[in-house]
Amino acid sequence: MANDINEKEITVFVDALIHYFVQITGEKADVRTAFLGDGEALPAPHEFTGMIKVSGGYHGFIYFSADRVLLSRLLLILQEPHHTDEQMLDAVGEIANTLAGNVRRHFGEQMEVSVPSTIQHAKSEQFQNMVRSHPYVVTMKWKQYDACVIVDIVRTAK
Amino acid sequence: MRLLIVDDSNIIRSRIARIVSDPRLPDITIVGMAKNGVEAITLLQQHNPEMVTMDLTMPEMDGVECTEAMIKMNPKLNILIVSALSDKATAIKALKKGAKGFLYKPFTDEQLVEAFVELLK
Repeated sequence: MANDINEKEITVFVDALIHYFVQITGEKADVRTAFLGDGEALPAPHEFTGMIKVSGGYHGFIYFSADRVLLSRLLLILQEPHHTDEQMLDAVGEIANTLAGNVRRHFGEQMEVSVPSTIQHAKSEQFQNMVRSHPYVVTMKWKQYDACVIVDIVRTAK
Repeated sequence: MRLLIVDDSNIIRSRIARIVSDPRLPDITIVGMAKNGVEAITLLQQHNPEMVTMDLTMPEMDGVECTEAMIKMNPKLNILIVSALSDKATAIKALKKGAKGFLYKPFTDEQLVEAFVELLK
């Protein structure tokens, strides 16, 4: 637990999430909760999930998960005409990548981030098996649509 | 002006392609779009662009490595880094490799236009 990131550092992710929606949509996302999750009672993943592997001075994963309806609205704002599953996966991957990249302003270049990988229709059990027992969970709403960020990273012991 | 767009996200590639048609910018022709550094080098050789927008986190060959390789091939190339990596060290590294500008993701349409205006000064 000593190497876990702390609650104050989670605000860096919350700020990055809010900044993303303001920049892209002109509207603030409403961050509903930010809490230390219990692996057995994590929120169910939404239909599309993007994940970034973190390595170097930190290790773990950062996830962004959202449903088709939120992503479709986002693609409309971006004037993207194609709303295929492939585009939805591209969108969650890019959002996860943007959040992970932006928080390096705080964590520094020693937080190495991977290219995104994506999953569609992840099952709750699959999600629970992927993350540690106590990741940080940030739930948000943009317009009336829900999404979440899961921050499952620790500092690498020196 | 011939532009090559390099980003592993299809959404970002098509968004940049749309924004560069802004009337405040000179006529920009998109000569290619690449989803990684290796594809970008091939397109550079084929189409000889004058400007490149370059993502940093990409598979196969990342944007810093690709910037270095491109500048060796064409030292006059105008490369604008468009990346979410927001730490100062990364920006400095990319600029030292020869990039002319850096725009952080997420960006607004306006910010990309302004970045191009600066790049073309």
